[in-house]
Amino acid sequence: MDRRAKKKLAGLILIILLAAAGGMKAGSFLPVIGSHQTPANTYLSGYYIENAMEHTHAANIVTAVLADYRGFDTLFETCVLFLSGIATLMVLFSKAKVKDRRAKEEPEEPVLPGEDERGRGGSILDTSFRIIVPIVMIYGIYVLFHGELSLGGGFQAGALIASAYLMDRIAPGFETRMGEIKEENMLIVAGLGTFLYAFTGILPMLFGGKFLEYEKLPFGNLVKGGAAGLHGAGILMIEIGVTICVMSVIMTILEVVLERTEFDDD
Amino acid sequence: MPVILLEGLLLAALITIAVAVIFERNLLACTIIYCGFSFGAMLLYIIVGAADVAFTEAVIGTISTVYFVIAIKSINRRCK
Repeated sequence: MDRRAKKKLAGLILIILLAAAGGMKAGSFLPVIGSHQTPANTYLSGYYIENAMEHTHAANIVTAVLADYRGFDTLFETCVLFLSGIATLMVLFSKAKVKDRRAKEEPEEPVLPGEDERGRGGSILDTSFRIIVPIVMIYGIYVLFHGELSLGGGFQAGALIASAYLMDRIAPGFETRMGEIKEENMLIVAGLGTFLYAFTGILPMLFGGKFLEYEKLPFGNLVKGGAAGLHGAGILMIEIGVTICVMSVIMTILEVVLERTEFDDD
Repeated sequence: MPVILLEGLLLAALITIAVAVIFERNLLACTIIYCGFSFGAMLLYIIVGAADVAFTEAVIGTISTVYFVIAIKSINRRCK
């Protein structure tokens, strides 16, 4: 190692130590983990555990807090995800390059029967992914619709469905079976998901409620169970919005990154 | 085994993995070790009772590993 590299390493270690010291100093102001005096341990958790079922009719308290008590925060979390998708597209997407690439692509050679129809991933990968991908997608849908009662919710469901697409994109040697989706269209879908969330918030305001007040949603005739049914419908609507947003953003970033990547067939 | 001991073991493993990522020169190996870090964090979340967070960590850990692998392939610098 020469002197410059040594200097660089020393500087790096100094920065890490400073950051660690700063973090520890900042951490000393925070409440102690597991302490009995924090707001979370004195009244807040108990309040949620006792009243969440009665207020929100959601058995999973995490979903109750995420989608009901803290619904406004989750709306802007979704917006942040959407913004990250836009930022990635803006930084990495280059229209001229893509057009050039698409023009340069040679016409596909006709695939002879039995020669290459399994894709380039090899038969073991291909067969296993052919089994795994549908199961992951169904599990994603299950997590979305069951998030109110058990583990999961919008974020996890979106990530699962996107990971099924990701597997399909990766496994057969970077040639997708589901069909390539253009990243710019995918980002529009992400915007629609975010819009669905905000729209679910605004809809009760048109019928005399507050922002995200699910009891005032105008589907009283369609849903059984009165307030509980309306709560379920509202939470489901915003979860679908979050799912669409997360899924599309992950797929957008994947497509953009793959577009910039040149793979050799080695 | 007491839960606190299990937590301590997992935290020690996480620190070891983090240090290993710093000192590994092969970028692809770094990514795989980092995937192990994500797995350890997931186990820790399960132990402290945050099953929802553990679920998210498992899914996002896998997806981010794939992203890292694609990025490494695109810069075409496997090891130095």
